[in-house]
Order: sequence, then C-alpha cells, then structure tokens
Amino acid sequence: METVGYWVKHGIVYHIFSIKEVSVKSKLITLLLLVALVFGAGAQAKEIRVLVANHPYGDLLKQYIPEYEKATGVKVNVESLQESQLTTKLTTEFATNSSSADVFMTRPLQEGKMFYKNGWYEPLTSYDFSDYPESAMGVARFGNKPYLVPLVTEWQVLYYRKDLFKKADLSVPKTFAELEAAAKALDSNDIAGFASRGKGAAAVTQLSSYVYNYGGKYLDKGVAVFDSKEALDATRFYGKMLALYGPTGVTSMSWENIMPLFQAGKVAMWTDASVFFSQIVDPAKSQVTAADVGIANLPAGPKASNPFFVVSWGMAVARQSKNKALALDFIKWATSADLAKKALGGASIPMSRNSAWADPAVVAKANPELVTSQAFAAKNGNPFDRPYMSAVGNARDLIGEVIIESINTAGTSQKLADLAKQKAKQVNELLEDTGEYGVY
Amino acid sequence: MTKSSFIERHFKILFPLPAVLFIVVMMLFPVIYTLFLSFTNWNLTSGMPLKLVGLKSYIRVLGEPRFLEAIGRTFSFTAIAVVAETVLGLAVALLLNREFKGKSAMKLILLLPLVATPVAIGIVWNLFFDPTIGLANYVLSIFGLPRAAWVSSAQSVIPSLALVDIWQWTPMIALIVLAGLASLSQEPYESAKVDGANAVQIFTKITLPMITPTLLTAMILRTVDALKTYDIIYAMTGGGPGYSSETLNVMAYKYSFEYFRMGQSSVILVFLFLLVLAFSLAIMALRKRFEL
Amino acid sequence: MRTTTIKRILWILLMLCIAVPVLFPFLWMLSSSFKTQVDIVAWPPRIIFSPIIDNYIRVFAEQNFLKYFKNSLIVGLSAVGFSLLLGLPAAYSIARFKQKKLSVFILVARLMPGISFLMPWYIIFSRLRLMDSYVALILSHMLIALPIVVWIMSSYFESIPLEMEESAMVDGATRQKAFLSIILPIATPGIVTSITLSFIFSWNNFMFSQVLSMEKTKTLPIAVYNFVSYAEVDWGAVMAAAVAIMTPAIILTMIFQKYVVKGLTMGAVKG
Repeated sequence: METVGYWVKHGIVYHIFSIKEVSVKSKLITLLLLVALVFGAGAQAKEIRVLVANHPYGDLLKQYIPEYEKATGVKVNVESLQESQLTTKLTTEFATNSSSADVFMTRPLQEGKMFYKNGWYEPLTSYDFSDYPESAMGVARFGNKPYLVPLVTEWQVLYYRKDLFKKADLSVPKTFAELEAAAKALDSNDIAGFASRGKGAAAVTQLSSYVYNYGGKYLDKGVAVFDSKEALDATRFYGKMLALYGPTGVTSMSWENIMPLFQAGKVAMWTDASVFFSQIVDPAKSQVTAADVGIANLPAGPKASNPFFVVSWGMAVARQSKNKALALDFIKWATSADLAKKALGGASIPMSRNSAWADPAVVAKANPELVTSQAFAAKNGNPFDRPYMSAVGNARDLIGEVIIESINTAGTSQKLADLAKQKAKQVNELLEDTGEYGVY
Repeated sequence: MTKSSFIERHFKILFPLPAVLFIVVMMLFPVIYTLFLSFTNWNLTSGMPLKLVGLKSYIRVLGEPRFLEAIGRTFSFTAIAVVAETVLGLAVALLLNREFKGKSAMKLILLLPLVATPVAIGIVWNLFFDPTIGLANYVLSIFGLPRAAWVSSAQSVIPSLALVDIWQWTPMIALIVLAGLASLSQEPYESAKVDGANAVQIFTKITLPMITPTLLTAMILRTVDALKTYDIIYAMTGGGPGYSSETLNVMAYKYSFEYFRMGQSSVILVFLFLLVLAFSLAIMALRKRFEL
Repeated sequence: MRTTTIKRILWILLMLCIAVPVLFPFLWMLSSSFKTQVDIVAWPPRIIFSPIIDNYIRVFAEQNFLKYFKNSLIVGLSAVGFSLLLGLPAAYSIARFKQKKLSVFILVARLMPGISFLMPWYIIFSRLRLMDSYVALILSHMLIALPIVVWIMSSYFESIPLEMEESAMVDGATRQKAFLSIILPIATPGIVTSITLSFIFSWNNFMFSQVLSMEKTKTLPIAVYNFVSYAEVDWGAVMAAAVAIMTPAIILTMIFQKYVVKGLTMGAVKG
C-alpha cells in the first residue's frame, strides 16, 4: 500500500513539472489536488503494528482481526513469533528505541519485571480491570498502576490417552507414585509412557509444579532456593520419569516438539500447560481423537498439590507507540469479554476474565474436564511457574542445566546437589546485578 | 603543481585509504569499544547505569564453568571437523588429480556445498537427524542398529554437527589441494618413474612433501573458520541440548542478544578475538615460512 | 580389454562414492519440498510420492518471501558495489607497491569472528537510529565483501605485467588513468570472480542480518530461520524455503564455475 501511494505521489509530481504548456492556474489546481490526496492518504493510513505469539490465542486473534479492521477501518499489521523470539525482538527494539510496535502479547512472569523497570509498558489507567481476579492482577500491576491486561491463565494438567488407559486397565494417577506406575505400564517401544518438556530452560516452568508438590520453591524472598532438598527431590523425580519413560531426545524438546508426538499417538501421558487441548485434537494434524484425550489434575506430590496457576500471557501497549489512541482501542477489543468467551468456549483456551468462566453457556461448550481442573487449580494453584525476576531468561538456562543433568542420569546424578548449589549462586548473582537480591 | 601530480605523489596512500578507513571504522573501532565494555558492568535489561568495574566481569565469566566448557567444545568441534576434512579432502583431491571425462562436472558438484546457505543446510540436516522421522535413523535401522538421538543428545551433538561441517567443507580442502597439485612441477615425477618408484613411494616421497605448504594453509584457513562456526550450530541446535553444543561464538551471541549482559559478553568476545588472532598470526608466520 | 572395462566401472563407482554423498542432501531437500506433510513423516521414508507445489505457494504467497528476496538482493548488490569501489584501488596499490602489511591488515578482517564487531555495531547503529536500515546492513555486509575483493584482486593485479601501464604512462597518461582505462578492463575476469564470491557470501550471511535487521530489511536467511521456528513441523514448506534461498547462489556458481573455484582456492595455493 505504502509503495503504491509513493508512486502515485511521485507520478503526479512528475506530471506537474514536466508538461510545460499547462497554465499556472491548472498547475495550482493540480497541486491542491495533490495536497488533498496526500492528506487524504495520510488520514486513510490508520495502521498499527501488533506482535502476537505463536500461541492458540494469537491464532484466534488473527482469525478475528479482519472483522476488527472492517469495523474500524484501522489496518492491523500482525506479526507472529515464537515466544522466546518475541521477547528477544521486543527487548531489542525497545532497548534501542527503534520500535514501531504498538500492541504486543507479553509474558508477565517472563519479561514483566524487566519491561516495567525499563519503562517499556504504557500504563493502562483508563482500562476497566474489574472483570479480572485479584491473583491475576498481582502480576499486571506495578506500584499502583496496571501495565498489562491479563489474557490467558494457564495451569499445569496431565493430558492422557483414555483409550490406552482403558486397554491397560489403569485408573488416572492421583499421586506421583501412581504416575510413575502408570508410565511404566504404558511405556513400550512405540509409545513413550510419559512426556514433559526436557529442553533445559523450557522445562523450568513445567518442573515448577513438581517442585511445589515436593514442598520446594525456586525463589524465596528474592533468594534462589532451588538447591533445597525438596526442590532437588522433585528434579530427580522429573529426570527419572523422562529418562525412563520419555521420548527419545527429550532434552531438546519443548511443547512444540512433544505436541506432534502426542498427536501421532506416540505419547501416553503428557504434563504441560492447560492451553493445548484444542490443538492436540485438531483433526487436520492429529491422529488421536478428542474422545481419547483426557485432562486430569496434575498428580499430588509427597508434600502438597499446588500446580502452577499463572497469567501466562497478557497484552500491553508500547510506551514508544506513536498511535496510543489506536493501540488502546485495539487492546480493548483484543482483550474483550466477547473474544474471551469465544476463546474459552470455542477453543478451550483458559482465559483470565472472570465473566468467561461465569457464563454457563460458554463453560458448557468448553471441555468439562478442563473446567474441573480449572476450579481445582484456581483454588490451590501457585501464581508463579518460574523464578520471578528481571534476568529470568538467564536464570531459566541455569536451572535448565540442573534439569538436563537430572534427565541424563535418570535422576541419580551424584553431583546434582553441588550443581544446583552452584547454579543457585549464579542466579543470586543475577539478582544482585539487577538490584533484586533479597527484595520481595 | 597540478592536482593530478598530487595524486600521483601520494598514490600509495590515497588509493588504499578509503578501504583502510572503512576497516578502521567498522573493525578496529568496534574491537576497542568491546575492550572498553569488558571492563564495565553494562547490562541492557537491568535499567542500571553503566559503571566501570575493573576486572569484575572477567572474574565472573572466567568463573563460569559454562565458559570453560564452551572453549573446550569450540576446540573439539574444530579438531574433529578439520582433521576429517583434511584426510577426506586430500583423498578426494588425489583421486581427481588426473584427466578424465566429467572432471569439470565433479568439480561443480564439489562446489555446491561451499556456496549453499549454511542456515538452510542446517535445516535440511535437521530433517535427516530427526530422531523419529529422520533419514539418518532409517539408515541405522536398515543395518539393524538402534535409533540414535544425533543432535538431540548431549553425547552425540558435537560429532553430529561436525559431520555437517565435514559435509560442507571437505570439498573446499579437496579443491584447494587439487589446484595445488595441478601447479606442481612434473620433473620429480618423471625421474621417479625412471627410477621405478611405486605409487606409495611417489605419494610419500614426492607428492606429500610438495603439497604440504598448500595443505597446511588450507587446514589453517579451515581451522580459523571452524572456530567461528555459528550459522549451522545456531540454526540446528541453538547451542542445545542444554549447553552441549554451545561454542564460544554461540555463547557470545546469547550473552549479547538474549541476556543483554553486554559487559560480560564483551569478555567472551575479547577471548574469542584473541583466539582467532593467535591462529591468524600462525597463518602469517606459516606463509612466511613457506614463502607463500 | 576386459581389465580396462572393469577399471572403468570401478572408477565410475568411485566417483559416485564422492558425488552421491555430496549431492544427496540437495536432492532430498528438493524432493521433500514437493511432499505433503504425510509423505515427509512417513516411515520408512518415501522415495516415490505424488508431488505437490503447495509448499512453494505457502512460502511465496503467505510468507512474503519475495520481499525478503528483494532485501537480500539490495543488501548484497550494494555491499558488493561499494566494496569494489573501495577495494579495487586498494588492491591495485597493494599489488604494485608490494604493501604486504596492508594486505595482512585487510586479511585480518576476513579472519576475525563477525560477532566481535556485531555487538558494538548493534549499540552504535541503534544510537544512530540505524537499526533495521539498509545502511547498517550494507555497511556490515561490506566487511564480508571488501576483504574478498582485496584478496582476490591484489593477486590478480600482480599477475598483470607492469609493462601494461608503464607503456601508457610513458605516453603521458597518469597512473590513475592507466589504472582506470588499461588495468581494470584487463582485470575483468578477476572482478567477475570477486563479485560472484562476495555476493554469494553476503547472500548466505546469517549473523549480521539476524541482529541488525528486523521486519523491514529482513534478509532471506533470517526469514528461513524464523519460518522454521514458527512452523516447527511444517517440513515441506521449510524445505521449499531452503530451495528458494539456495537456488540463486547455485545458479551463479554454475555460470561462473571456473571463477568461483579460482576465487576459493586462491591465496592458499602458491602462484
């Protein structure tokens, strides 16, 4: 569009100044027309740039954006990026003051602290947050101002193959001990009994619930404590499960790699975030049917049953945006209760808005097992699934090393405790670097 | 005194000047800037001001096992790749060093990996190496071998990546040696024939000594490039699983553009720079030694 | 007679042993780019399948690859052009005045790891508001192209006999005139070699564009890489993208085969 406008303008300029016989008056008229055209084009060019993640809600938004464009006349340029690339890209653009982003999807627990501290979020004082649970607002607010709109609340669940369970005459595991027994029973040459993320940094969020259920934590009052006995026991268990019953090459797998395996029927149980149900059973990609895929609460650990229950995604307006009014209008639409209901009812995406879960018509359409597990997690969940700090990317890599060591040794590593201690020290150094050590 | 005579008198300086200025601005200045940053605590994400901290960043980076492991990995990757490339490259060159039909076609085939985009090459090999659907494991299964994890396991990732490097760069050594062989004088061969020397003797006594300078230069060029390998590793594994394929180059990238720990990434860059500089000086020395 | 036939067959087999492993990844890439996802994930791998072009449609129509193609072209051609402008005089001077130290200085630029300049560039370019601009990309790619030009051209100029310009200078021409009107035309093959090689290296460069370019100036290698991580398992389209990016470099190589070999092996071989 831009280039077309450019050629139109320049073509006319050429026209005015090349034809000599034309009178001054008609030249003036053409000039006026040209000015009108340029201004008209300027008024037409209502555009915003929106960055979304490679996430079910991002996909849903892209599907509805044409409707928004039609209704408002604003052209929305959407870019989809894989989540870690999205963070890197936004950081690069913002840190160098070169961003043209207006609205973006953001991970409050991953980048919230850092983006807020650097002043990259526009405060959202005119947005109505009354429909959001207080637990979600905890990570959306800094000081006393909200900076991002919670979009999706995820918690950890156990996806399992009902048909395989039936065949093996197993019941859904309620504890980690039962989880291990089931994995053992279901594991075969063709099918991995159990899967969960094994790729170091990506696995940190999924390990978190295991750590909580063993009574441990990643950070306690701004100090790294993932080298505690409880956390180490959890890490050993996680490593053992994946080493003995996980798919080949699990240490390089995030959810993007496990999903196709599950869809191909090569995984019996999978613990991951609660957003993936509709993708798993997408008939275009999957060989397993919706009827064969069950969702259950993450089994309880020896000490507790507190799966993570976190605002995994939010949406924010860029402080550097030059179209803040348009951006605000877009974000209101993109996070509206109407879309939230469509997402929950139509695609089983667990939205943060209370009203979506309060609408019986919507909930009736969502997967009933998902609804049950939401009620459980909302009551018992832990609002963090990773160390909540500015240098979280680096910290995840460090914890990831411990996870990989545990997987590589099936949880038996002699040096795991020393390794964890060393990594905890390094995470503490990162906290010191950004002035967050011991601050809570 | 005319203008043109000014040019002529200062020809030696004026002609190379633009290129030299460009390289000073684009290369020398950044290196000095990096050296300066390595003595600071600069971190783009902390929101804190830049401060001179002396050797603190050096101590911090040198204290990380990850850094020492990356150095070791950089060397082991380079060693595996360069040794294999030299042996295979020499063998291919010796084979092709004769006149036959289709020689030019063979040369063209050998050229293809050299000009192929490394990122795309990495992706194609990732399809081969996929543990579940990859061709590599199918080949293993034909021979009744168990599935391997290739780039998905810490044990096999470096040899697997080296294999890709070997595939891409063996032809380079082969072509260089081939060109070297073509430029050899024929006299010693003729006298050896007269003396009735056999093929092995001719190779060890005549060809190898004469081709050594070329081979050594090719090896060192390859070594310098292998030490810097980035595209293939980043595209195929991103340094994973864990850090098990993280070389200095990849680590420096992550520190700079994923963690934005600029001060500490500068330390890594200084080391990488010194390492490559040392090898480059070795090249210069060798060129002098063999009067290349 | 029979032994020569056997020898011939053995020879051909030997040549195949070299050619097949080298070519195979290219062929597999090409065939996979015409496969459906089902054909690609099939086990055992399928050699025979019914080809589709959907993957290419996906890459070009939906992923905007033409734009990245254009960006790569702009950056590559400009970088090569400016490098010739700076590099040819420098190479001539190095060749004629035996400026060994200077050639070493420029050679160092070829040997140094790109990332050691990239981080400072990133900071400087962003201060200058040149992130995601062609200027920044072209400047960075010139650091790839310039050493290649100087390296190849200085040895080429050396091979041109001195008498060429001396006779012109006796006739009253200045040295720079002789350089422009006599030496450069003779040096055309060398110039073609350096253009081809430096363009291919710029075309293939990943690291510089990965950091310095964003949506507007993104070059092909970055587009291919981003596409992979976005469409993790859409192998067919990814292979189509890989074919698209490699084709121009391969065509160039086929046309200028002789020059490319010379350029790549030059400097390592005495003479």
